[in-house]
This record gives sequence, C-alpha cells and structure tokens, in this order.
Amino acid sequence: MKSLLVFGCMVVLCVSGASAQMVDRATYLKEFQQRVKYLETVYDTSQSVGFYQIAARYKLNSNIRQADSMFVEALRVPTNDMFWMFPVIGAYIHGKDKMSPETKAVVRNAWKTYAPYRGDTENHWAMYYSSLFLAAEQWPNLPGSEWYNGKSSDENRKEAREYLFDWARITTTIGQGEFDSPDYFAEYAISTILLAQFAQDPQVKQLGSMMSEYIFADFAAEHLDGQYLGGFSRIYQPAVYKPLMSTASGFAWLYFGTGERTSSGWIMVPALSGYELPEIIYQIALDRSKTYIQKERKRVRNVIRYGNEKNPPVYKYTYVTKDYGMGSLMGGILQPIQQHTWGVRYTYGRPYTTIFGLHPYWSGMELGMFFPEEVKTLIADVVASKGTYNNPNKWTSASPFERTFQHKNTLIALYDIAPGTTAEHINGLFPRNLEERIIDPSGWIVCKAGDTYVGWYPLQEYEWKEELETPANALNDGGRPQLERVKETGIWRLRSYKLQNGYVVEVRSKDEIGSFERFHAALKKSVPKGTMKPGAVSVDYTTIGGEKMHFRFPEERKLNGKVVDLSKTKLFEGPYLHAEVGSQKLTMTYKNKKRVLDFKTLTVTE
Amino acid sequence: MKSFACSILLLMLFLGVAVLEARQSTVYASVVSTKLFVVGAPNPQTGLFYQKTSDDTLWQHTGRNNIRAFGVDVHTPSKGNVLCIASGNGVHQSVDGGKTWKITTGWRITEVLSVAIDPRAAKTLYCSTPYGVYKTTDGGTTWNERTNGMGTIFVQTVTIDRNNPERLYCATEEGVYRSEDGAGTWKKTGLHVGGVRSLAQHPVNSDVLFVGTDDFGIYATTNGGKYWEKMAAGLDHVAFYTMVFDPTNPDVMYAGGYSTGVYKSVDGGKSWQRMNDGLTNLNVHAIAVDPTNGNRVYAGTMFGGIFKSENGGTTWRYAGLSGAQVWTMTVQPF
Repeated sequence: MKSLLVFGCMVVLCVSGASAQMVDRATYLKEFQQRVKYLETVYDTSQSVGFYQIAARYKLNSNIRQADSMFVEALRVPTNDMFWMFPVIGAYIHGKDKMSPETKAVVRNAWKTYAPYRGDTENHWAMYYSSLFLAAEQWPNLPGSEWYNGKSSDENRKEAREYLFDWARITTTIGQGEFDSPDYFAEYAISTILLAQFAQDPQVKQLGSMMSEYIFADFAAEHLDGQYLGGFSRIYQPAVYKPLMSTASGFAWLYFGTGERTSSGWIMVPALSGYELPEIIYQIALDRSKTYIQKERKRVRNVIRYGNEKNPPVYKYTYVTKDYGMGSLMGGILQPIQQHTWGVRYTYGRPYTTIFGLHPYWSGMELGMFFPEEVKTLIADVVASKGTYNNPNKWTSASPFERTFQHKNTLIALYDIAPGTTAEHINGLFPRNLEERIIDPSGWIVCKAGDTYVGWYPLQEYEWKEELETPANALNDGGRPQLERVKETGIWRLRSYKLQNGYVVEVRSKDEIGSFERFHAALKKSVPKGTMKPGAVSVDYTTIGGEKMHFRFPEERKLNGKVVDLSKTKLFEGPYLHAEVGSQKLTMTYKNKKRVLDFKTLTVTE
Repeated sequence: MKSFACSILLLMLFLGVAVLEARQSTVYASVVSTKLFVVGAPNPQTGLFYQKTSDDTLWQHTGRNNIRAFGVDVHTPSKGNVLCIASGNGVHQSVDGGKTWKITTGWRITEVLSVAIDPRAAKTLYCSTPYGVYKTTDGGTTWNERTNGMGTIFVQTVTIDRNNPERLYCATEEGVYRSEDGAGTWKKTGLHVGGVRSLAQHPVNSDVLFVGTDDFGIYATTNGGKYWEKMAAGLDHVAFYTMVFDPTNPDVMYAGGYSTGVYKSVDGGKSWQRMNDGLTNLNVHAIAVDPTNGNRVYAGTMFGGIFKSENGGTTWRYAGLSGAQVWTMTVQPF
C-alpha cells in the first residue's frame, strides 16, 4: 500500500516538477503537501538507520518501536557536531511524546556525553545555537553536570538566544556573511525553520520565522527554474556547473515547486516541520514576467589577518529574466575556498545550465585571512576536506587578482595576476551541450543555449580543452569519484595563460534580441578595446545596447562616463525586496502586496 | 647493630622514594587534531592529553573530545587542580584536576589560541583570540574584552610576567604588546615585525624575552621590550612557533617551527644549533622542558605526534599521539 502511495506521489510530482507555472495559494498548498507527503513516505519506508527516518516515523506515528530502536542505534557513536545536533533535536521533538522512557533517556544522555564542536563558520553557528536553544528548552532546569559543555540548561538557553538575536541583527544591518550559498542555504533554512516551528520562547519563535522569510526572500529574488542565480559566497563542485545539484535547489523544489524532485535529507527536517512559505515569497520566486535588476550588499566573512576591516562589504549585482540570469560579485577575496564570483545560468540544457569564468587561486595568505591556524600549513589542512582547493583546474575560487563590472546583461572581468601566483592562468567553463559554440573571426565566442545567447570576448590568447566526464576526473570536493557523472557530456574549458587578462560577456534572450543570428551580428559590431599591461589592465567597451563601459583594474568603473559608486548599494534593492543598510528591516513587495519584516520590533506587517 | 642497619636501610629507602616522588612530573599536551580534522565530520580524538613522566608512552585524555585544543595552562600552586584549555569552542576550565569541565566563555569568545592563569590568583585568567584579549577575575563567570591600546587584533599568545602578575605580554600579528596594569591598557613594544607566534620569558631575569615569528626568525630583548635584536647565528629558518627556556639552566633554550625541527642554544640564545637526530617530523609547534630534569625535553609536532629526548635534545624518539597536531605543551613538577 505504501509503495503504491509513493508511486502515486511520484506521478503527481514528476508532472508538477517539470515546469513551474505560478499557481494560486490553494493549489500551491495542495501541491506543497503532496511534495511533503512524498518525502515523508520515502523516509518512513526507508529501513536504513538515520535521524530523518526516525523523525518521519515519529511524525507519522508509524512503527514507533522501530523508531525507538533506530534512535538508540543512531546515537551509539555520535559524530558530526552541529550536523548531528539539528536532526537529533528535530527527531526528538517529533517523538518525545511517543518514544519509550528508555529511548528518551538515551537521547538525553547523548546531550550530556557527546560534545559537538561549535565550528568556525556562520552556518555552523546557526545550526549549533538553534539546536542548542531547542535542546535547552526541551530539558530545562538541569545543572551543568547534565550537559556536554558543563553549562546549565539556563546558561545554554541564554547563550544560544543571545547569539541568535545577534546573528539576525548583523545580518539585517550589514548583510549575511556566508551569503547566497546554494549549498549552505540548507543549513540556514533548517536552523531558522526549526526555531520558527518548535521554539517555546515566543520571541525566538518569531525570530526564527522572520529569519526564515528573510533567507527565503533573498533566494526567491535570485531564483530561476530551481537555480540560485548570481555570485555566491560558497558553492561546491560539481554543483557550480550543474546548478540543480545544490541543496538550495531541493528547497526550490519543495517550496517553489521548481527544479527537479529530490528526496534529499536536507529538506526532510523542514518538510516534517509543517513550515509553510508566505505566498508573497513564492510569488517573488516564480514571477519572471518582467526582467529586473537585483542589487544586494553582503559582508565578507570575519577577516582576522592581513586586513584592516573585520567585515568589508560585498556588492552583488544580478540581472534576471525568464530565460536566464547573470550575476556577479565585484571580485577579490570575499570568502575563502569556494567563492563563485560570477556566472550566467539559464533554463536550457540540464544539468549543465551555466557559463562562467574564474582565476583558480589558492594561497596560505588567503586562508590565513580567515582561519587562525598556522598559515604555512593551512593549505594542507583545507585540502583534507576541500580536495580541489589547490587544483589549478578547480571551478570555485576567490582571487585577489580578479574584479568584475556588470551592467544589466553585460559583464567585464579583468585580471592582473602577479607572477608566481597559484595559478598563472584563467579558466572559462562552457558546457558541451550548448547548441552552438561559434568561434567568430571578430574574436567573439558566440554560444546558444536554447533561447539564451551568450557572447564571450577574450581579451587575450587562449586555448580550448575538451573535458569529458570519466570516473577519473569526475571527483567531488572530497576527492571521491562521482560515478553517476560518467554518462554526462562534460565541458569545454577555455584557458588563457596571460597574466594580464580579461573578457567581456554579453547575454541576451530570444525575447530580448530576436534570433541568434541577430545576436551574432550585433556582437561583431561591438569589439572591446583592452589594455593588458602589468598594473594597467583596462577595457573600454560599448555594449550591444549602446552603453559605454570603462573598467580599469581593480576598482575604476565608469558607465557612460559616470563613475559607478558601489558603496551606495543597499542591502536589497530591486522590484521585490528593499532594505537599507543598518535598517534591520526588509520590505517585500509584489504587485499590490507588501510585507515588512522589522527586526528591531520583531514584527511582521502586511 | 642489626636494628641500626635496618634503620639505615629504611632511611635510604624512604629517601629514595622521596627523590623519586620529587622527580615525578606531568606532561600536558593540547592537541588541535589527530590526523586531519574536518568540522562536522567523524573526527579522531582532540583536546588535552597528559602523562606522568614515569609512564613514558601512555597518554591519558581529559576533558571533552573534539574541541580543537590550541592552548593549555596549568595552575602550578594547586598542583594542577585548576586547568584551562584554550580551544575553538572557548576556554574550558576544570577546578578539580580534570574530573569535570566547563566551557566558561560564551559565544562572543571564540577560536581561543592561548590561556594564562595568574599563578597567584587562580580565578584570574587571560585568553588570546584572533579578536584580541579577554580577562576574567571570577574564574570565568564573566569575561571582559581587554584590548585598550591594542585593538581587536590577532593575538597568538598572552603571557603573564613571572615576577609581576600585573605585567603581561602579547604576541600578535602586529608585534609584541605589553600591559603594566593587568591588561587594562596595552602599549606596543619596540618590535615592529608582524606575525609573532611565540614568546618566552627568562626564568630568572624577567626583562629578557625571546619571540619567534612566522616569517622573520627570532628576536630578543633584554629590557622588557624597549628594543629588540634579531638572533641569527646558526638559524637557517624563519618560522618559529615555539620557544622555551630550560627552567633548570637559563642559558639553555629550544626553538621550533615550520620545517625547522628543534634548534638548541646553550649560550642564552646568542647562537643556535639544530638537534634533530631521531626527529622524523620537522614541523614543531610545541617544546617543553621538564623542570625536574632539564635533559628531558618534549617536542610536539604538526601531524606527527610527540617526540621525547632524555639527553637535552641530542637524540629524539617517538613518544606517542600518532598523527597529532600538537599546539602547546607544558611539564609540571608534580
């Protein structure tokens, strides 16, 4: 019977996941519940021992005895720090009134004897303190001897509460630090949704609810067809070139009904929680009837060495259409290791739905900016978990020698790379499944991806390398083979070894310019003029829309003769989201609707 | 006659035991990681390890696992009843010799790199972090930022002057700072090189200080930091993470760092010689000398565990904690 139900859900969801048309609230909620049901049923029937399987059984009141025995088994040797904390407290809350006293005692004892590490990133702390807060509420009035850290329930609850409010304050004042991460979206969403649904303290519950809306709204404004658009603080390979592999895309499927169906465990805790997204965020995520520009301001992760400012600003610019989005960060080291500075993402050609470029950079100095361990051994430390960090072929990177300048759907990237830098080349990623990849005598590389057209003008000589995916090269960040990728087609790598370098990228859709031939012809008339000398890297370019861009590395940006001042960028500015720096307030608008999150007063008004 | 001989024998036995007891000491090692550590992954044991010198190879673990322990300080007057660990999670403290532990710091204090217990007032603690220095005078119930004159800079270590607990030194990314009022205010000393990683104070003359830096070698001062001199004789390396005096002979010093192995000086730091026979990992982050036996020296390495010498560094042998990244070591005379 259960398998029949799963099959039924799959039929419904395959249809609903295939294309994303905006639906009315009643239909949305019905389809959302179908997706939740699908997930519940997958995990409820799974026989493997895991916290999501346990939580599903408790939530659905299905085979409680098995859930109990699974829980005891799963807690036998606790590991994984905050990644242990949130599913354990989530499963416990669903089952606390159903599990046996013995199981309850095992769970309680785990929070006494296992000491999770708090971690060193913003997402670690969000998970750690949201879970600890909920745990301290579940077991109040216990002395420090009953907790892994020697603090009493009251001390733990107060510390967690204070941190969570401070995290919300800084995020809504100068921006999120680990911002817009397709792969770490889940860590924040899980943390805030757990608080929204299960905190007993009404203020923390409200904070969780508002921060959930905040990060979902942030995603929604840069969402297209299940994909997160723009530049990102952190993303893994291969998701950086197969966008729907990111965990945020799982959330897009669950909450927006876009992208591809998934049974990822990352969405299981939210799915079980009963959390529902406000309609306005869903509408912002889905309505692509009009093209728009989304500007945002975030903050750099805490700089602890080699810098004068703890959290310098990050400026983000994203151009969003119904067919594609192009987005960028302004460049430089904004986050170590996994930064995605710019990219075009489009709706054609899953799973390879992106074109982007980067300077694959690594150094002890970059890591020493953010991590307290010894600079000279940090690379080895990092490579232990991020195997591609010191690989010259990697597809994620921050670089002090890279800057961008984006205006609408035109982007210029410039590089002035110091000799001896790792690495002494730049890379561009072009999927092999493009319909066209024409090397025009004018210098433009002209690409067609369905109704999206991309032109790329290299400012220096380069070479092409075709990279098919095989088990040998299809490694994830942990250095492990990704065997399922063998069947896929791979990419073309553009590589240029010139240290003073750059390129211009133009993107248009069929709706914007008409035929591909017309786009091709327009590009041929718009050839950039670059200067590529050490310390003097610049380009002057008139876009195919007729606007004049001047960009001199690193920070001289002029548009139609006027200096572009990025420092005026607000936390959010676009047709749907608005927030001033320092305001602690986010205003969402959609047609005649308005929803204001005021974190100073902890209120939501419509 | 017989009873006299027995008495003598008993006396000798008693004195022998007393001598043995006097020579018993305890080695503490803070371990950031054993093998490679990834937050959120199943990690091998980290934290604080210790052994009695008589045990030789058996290391005991105390406190919580999985905490990335950078620093350790032991309150000598209480014979180790008060112990502190500087860790990624904050300052862990035990006041019962390691039986129970508590993280005394809250969320504002993180990635603690060193901790110092005032030997005359065990409730006064200092800790250093990438965001400056913090102090408590109530055993960790309340901590306060103490960065006046220094700012929220990266502070690798904080050291309490052995003769004046109100005088403190900090090794920072921007040189060495000194406080004369228990961290109330800080002034930069005459050293203007960055990346100071370690600081050692002379066992007798507290105005003599040595520092190791990440890129500029070893500097010394003989006047509490007014001016500094670079020590170069015999040194072929630039990155020094640890420097110690032999407490039994202040002319003897040891230093270690990135790919250095162990350097030894027998003339108070004027000249140095590498002493690496048997030392199979040359990235040394911690060195400690047994105060009851100056020939017994320990070297904690980065990802290579601990090595021990019984002859003042002439030869070394592996002494346990395989794969450990040992950050700090201390040997206590009890």
